[in-house]
Amino acid sequence: MLRQIFVVSAINFKSLRQRLWRSLVIVVGMACVIGVLLSMLSLTEGMLAAYMKTGDPGRAIVVSTGAQGEGNSNISRDKARLIMDAPGIAKAPDSSPLADAGINSGVPVIRVNGRPAYDTLRGFGPKGVMLRPEFHMVSGRMFRAGTRELIVGVLAKTQFRNMNVGDKVILPDGEWPIVGSYTTGDLLDGQLIGDTETVMKAIRRPAYNSVLVRLASPSSFAGFKRALTTNPALAVDPYLQSEWYKKISEGFSTFFKVIAYGIGIIMGVGALFGCFNTMYAAVAARAREIATLRAIGYDAFPVAVSVILEAIALAVAGALIGALFAWTLYDGVDGAFGNSVFKLTVSPTLIGTAILWAIGVALLGGLLPSVRAARRPVVEALRAT
Amino acid sequence: MKYLPLVWAAIMRKPARAILTLLSVMVAFTLFGLTIGLNATFVKFSEMARADRIWTQQRFGGGGPSGGGMPRALVEQIGRIPGVSQVAGMGFVGGYHGDPKNRVFIWMVDDKLGKVFNEWEITPQQWDKVRANRRGLLISKIQAGRWHLKPGDNFTMTAPGLKKADGTNSWTFQVLEVTNEISFATDGFMMGNYDFYDKSRPLADQSRMVQMFIQTSNPDQSAALAQRIDATYASSATPLQSTTEKAALDVSNNGLDFITVDREIALAGMFMVLFLTANGIAQAVRERFAEFATLKTIGFSDWGVIGLVFAEAALPCILGAILGVGLAGLIAAMVPRVGQGIGGFPMPTVTGGVVLWAMLCAAIVALISSALPALRLKRMDIATALSGR
Repeated sequence: MLRQIFVVSAINFKSLRQRLWRSLVIVVGMACVIGVLLSMLSLTEGMLAAYMKTGDPGRAIVVSTGAQGEGNSNISRDKARLIMDAPGIAKAPDSSPLADAGINSGVPVIRVNGRPAYDTLRGFGPKGVMLRPEFHMVSGRMFRAGTRELIVGVLAKTQFRNMNVGDKVILPDGEWPIVGSYTTGDLLDGQLIGDTETVMKAIRRPAYNSVLVRLASPSSFAGFKRALTTNPALAVDPYLQSEWYKKISEGFSTFFKVIAYGIGIIMGVGALFGCFNTMYAAVAARAREIATLRAIGYDAFPVAVSVILEAIALAVAGALIGALFAWTLYDGVDGAFGNSVFKLTVSPTLIGTAILWAIGVALLGGLLPSVRAARRPVVEALRAT
Repeated sequence: MKYLPLVWAAIMRKPARAILTLLSVMVAFTLFGLTIGLNATFVKFSEMARADRIWTQQRFGGGGPSGGGMPRALVEQIGRIPGVSQVAGMGFVGGYHGDPKNRVFIWMVDDKLGKVFNEWEITPQQWDKVRANRRGLLISKIQAGRWHLKPGDNFTMTAPGLKKADGTNSWTFQVLEVTNEISFATDGFMMGNYDFYDKSRPLADQSRMVQMFIQTSNPDQSAALAQRIDATYASSATPLQSTTEKAALDVSNNGLDFITVDREIALAGMFMVLFLTANGIAQAVRERFAEFATLKTIGFSDWGVIGLVFAEAALPCILGAILGVGLAGLIAAMVPRVGQGIGGFPMPTVTGGVVLWAMLCAAIVALISSALPALRLKRMDIATALSGR
């Protein structure tokens, strides 16, 4: 049986050249579908990857109860102190808790295309860097605590104007110079960082937004959470930082995925009809050849399988072309949405999904024509011109 | 018209192929209708955005509900700036209803808002009701549908970042009226009474607002006026960020050029269809080459035959375009009712312009795909073709 499938398919593929143009309908159609699908998903994928990278499961973030973002969370100074005294927090070399109260504010900036936007200005306290081993200075120097200086992430300048070392950022109490640039490999790469207390004074904010802590061990989160949520003096929600970023990215990622896959499905249906069309024509063109095979003793099944295999091969070829397109155009390109800056990503997993998608369409599109090929009475087909 | 039966007969020679082609074309034009229709919505928004309004918020610290906000006195002060005719202010109560997943956002508006936005379909009587009832709410149909609310119902929500003077953060409103939608609130709206919001806050947080809407007397001067307002307050305790309504509502503000993305998606769909149609028509002509030779023999001119081929390509394209764009319109009308609106994302509008563009694209696709077969027919050697060689 397998040998028969192999032989029939081989004959099939050899004759593809005669049906080249017709077959290209599937290839081009699938390339369009996958090209569009992957281009759209590259945005979600890149943004999501940046969010996920920012969330370290070894850290916990504490926000006020019910807060849906750091921006609408409020942690007063006395509460921040209570949080940092909770059990389960790793210790710094000086045996103080490895925790940092942070501030998170929007700063009006101009996009490179001239549009107004907000970038995120983050405050780092004394432990801000120690908490984040992923943080490295790239050029210039670190801001000095207590001074009105900022450092900028390496990706900020790809989306916003005046984000280089030496540029100035306007804050309420004047222009703050950018004295250095850093990278963390995550969302912070698109942001600005200053000294928490100095930034708070400048934007006249009396309270912190959140507290970030390094957990003593992965298992200490439960105790940490219990201590905070059972303390009547606090009204806060602790999250593993990884869970927090998953939570705050859910809204947009579901939204974009619905849109991308919605469009993918619509285009996929269009391609499916094209696939039907081509495969019916292919079966018709090979009617005599198929009938001959059947006459000399080949089963109907290998004939049917060969038709589906042909559809799959064409669709996968198209998908690869589409994926190549999306990959060369978008993979690693700087992207932005809202105030998040990240790199668009066409990951191997995404390409794999796309190829499965193409195989699915080809299976559906090849099925009916293959049944017709297998069912057609041999004598009638042999007579056909 | 006379040759329509001829074209029809030609298409129906292979009904399966004809129907599949039509369906493919239809699907591509559904996508076309959705994407280009979405762009039409964006254009509509930007046309409805008024040049004589300025949106102002606090420059730093965002406009979040927990942000300190701007002093209420600014409404008076800015109202006195030459060129400003009216100023409205509002606060926000943002949070959730029951489950934190059920996000709610209520605009707490003052008396002036209805005057600054005089084009909204909210009657003076409706505004009066909100003024008279401190806990009152005007809600739009979308929101009424989402929370199953009717006039007279109470609506309670939790605003985590917004404490009241009584120490709680639970806010209870009463629905007064269900109103029509307003242009830019794509996810509907809920509007409450500013005084209720203000007096419910702790004393230290009172007399503050999060957003101002400024009506100008000269639309041409709005952008300059916005800059002047920001400059005036640049070194005050609350620096301001003012933009014209047009700029504030621009879709590309979020960093993604939706309009171009939409066009590219539509284009990809068209390319798919072009390839499909071109292929189909080329094959049809190849199969019936001898027949075309016969037509020429009995007196059809070159252009007559080419016209027939074009019509054969154009018919499914035009028909598919009409059906597809129609389907897109249907989908755009259904989706907001089925889902809870996907985060208030605007729905496509299938305008006359969209239909026209679709027709034009269909015609272009038909023209390009029949070009090569037409050339072959024009150059055909009738004798050879007739002999079937």
